[in-house]
Amino acid sequence: MSGLIDYQGIKISLSGKLILDIDHLAVKAHQCTLVTGQNGSGKTTLFKIMSGLLRPDSIQVDYQGLQMSWKQAKPLLQRDIIYLHQQPYLFDASVADNVAYGLYRRGESKNSVQKKVCQALDWANLSHLAQRHAKQLSGGEKQRVALTRARILAPSLLLLDEPTASMDNEAKQQTAHLLQRLKEEGVCVVISSHESHTVDHLADHHLCIEHGKITVIEPVKKSAKVAVLNHAKNTL
Amino acid sequence: MSDIKQASIAAFELLLSGDQTIWEIISLSFSVSLSAIAIASPLALILAFFLAFFQFPLRRALIALFNTFMSVPAVVIGLTLYLLLSRSGPLGELKLLFTDKAMIIGQILLSFPLLVAMAHAAFQAADRRAWETAITLGAKPWRAFFTLMFEVRFGLIAAVVAGFGRVIAEIGCSMMVGGNILHATRNIPTAIALETSKGEFAQGIALGVVLLIMSLSLNAGISLFQGKGELRT
Ligand SMILES: Nc1ncnc2c1ncn2[C@@H]1O[C@H](COP(=O)(O)OP(=O)(O)OP(=O)(O)O)[C@@H](O)[C@H]1O
Ligand SMILES: [Mg+2]
Repeated sequence: MSGLIDYQGIKISLSGKLILDIDHLAVKAHQCTLVTGQNGSGKTTLFKIMSGLLRPDSIQVDYQGLQMSWKQAKPLLQRDIIYLHQQPYLFDASVADNVAYGLYRRGESKNSVQKKVCQALDWANLSHLAQRHAKQLSGGEKQRVALTRARILAPSLLLLDEPTASMDNEAKQQTAHLLQRLKEEGVCVVISSHESHTVDHLADHHLCIEHGKITVIEPVKKSAKVAVLNHAKNTL
Repeated sequence: MSDIKQASIAAFELLLSGDQTIWEIISLSFSVSLSAIAIASPLALILAFFLAFFQFPLRRALIALFNTFMSVPAVVIGLTLYLLLSRSGPLGELKLLFTDKAMIIGQILLSFPLLVAMAHAAFQAADRRAWETAITLGAKPWRAFFTLMFEVRFGLIAAVVAGFGRVIAEIGCSMMVGGNILHATRNIPTAIALETSKGEFAQGIALGVVLLIMSLSLNAGISLFQGKGELRT
């Protein structure tokens, strides 16, 4: 399994308190990693650093065969990695315009953007919401729009911060279903969670974070996956 | 009583007949104030954004400074600028005193702190996630800044309108550095204040009506715009 990106020596203190201290974190291509940890353990902070949104005190990034400092890595991380907030933020515009945002930033033509947006909304079963105003959507719908808005850009890595927290069961299942399909498309995903069986079955790796340190890294056993998958099916 | 009545009728006649002097005064007022706001706003908005979104040394001191400058009387700014621009002052070489350019500079100084303070409040109310979302979806910082401005557009428009409202009606600074010269630097407030005392009642009333109509329509425009926004959230 080839490595996609390697982070080394991640350290960050906020307000004088050491929040994260991680020696080594490797993300493999086409894999789904589950990061679990209690509230306040540092999951969100880690994701923001990984996606180039938050500057750590120290870090070394190994990406595309190059060893990079934060300064060199930041623009690449911002370009290639998408971070999805715990509560996704949708712009004050229609659903279709939200989904189109990233494509326009890449300078794509209006025609090609419209076509891709149509397909993407179709993919996520959101076509009926295309012209709705984004601020009017329910939490679950917002999450799915945000996922679609990210997927359309085909990022090399997608960081999902508790994508199913505070959702009812149906919304959880719909989101889990989209994640499953993302995974099948070979998109590399890292998901954080502090509970929930909803996404467990998607994970190839399980990583546990406690007080800003990674404590367990383990590949998820096939048998366990099947068990979890069955559990998920049964609860459906 | 009949004096006021007669003057009012004369005022509307002045306005409607397209009296050259009065329309000159009105257009000077607007061109000076609009120029000042157009020049001050971009810089003020960028500064307000930095003050709201980034940590840097002296940030708090700067915010406090702008909040203080917001309440400095126009006439004090006028006096300071007068001393700077007067022939023996450090900027006397520029020969700007008693020109409309001096009035524009004065109004820029006057509106800038208000623009920064109000835009700062608008940006502070903005959601940090909006910025992060724009960046993570591949927007360059400049583009993300415009996206953020769009998200808080109501607050920013309110700031710009308030800034314009402050300078279009201020008199102290325009009088000091403009000098109320007919055909050159006489604007609505200086004309009302200085010419009315010479018995030009009709002109004063006419100009007052213009200011009133302007502020009414600005306010109506804003509430219409914001009303549309509220429906959506
Ligand atoms: N700007 C900040 N200043 C000071 N401390 C912060 C700041 N941001 C986060 N922290 C602290 O860092 C720790 C990790 O926060 P983080 O949001 O990464 O946790 P989390 O694992 O995502 O928690 P949750 O499951 O509740 O989302 C917490 O103790 C939090 O209080
Ligand atoms: Mg979190």
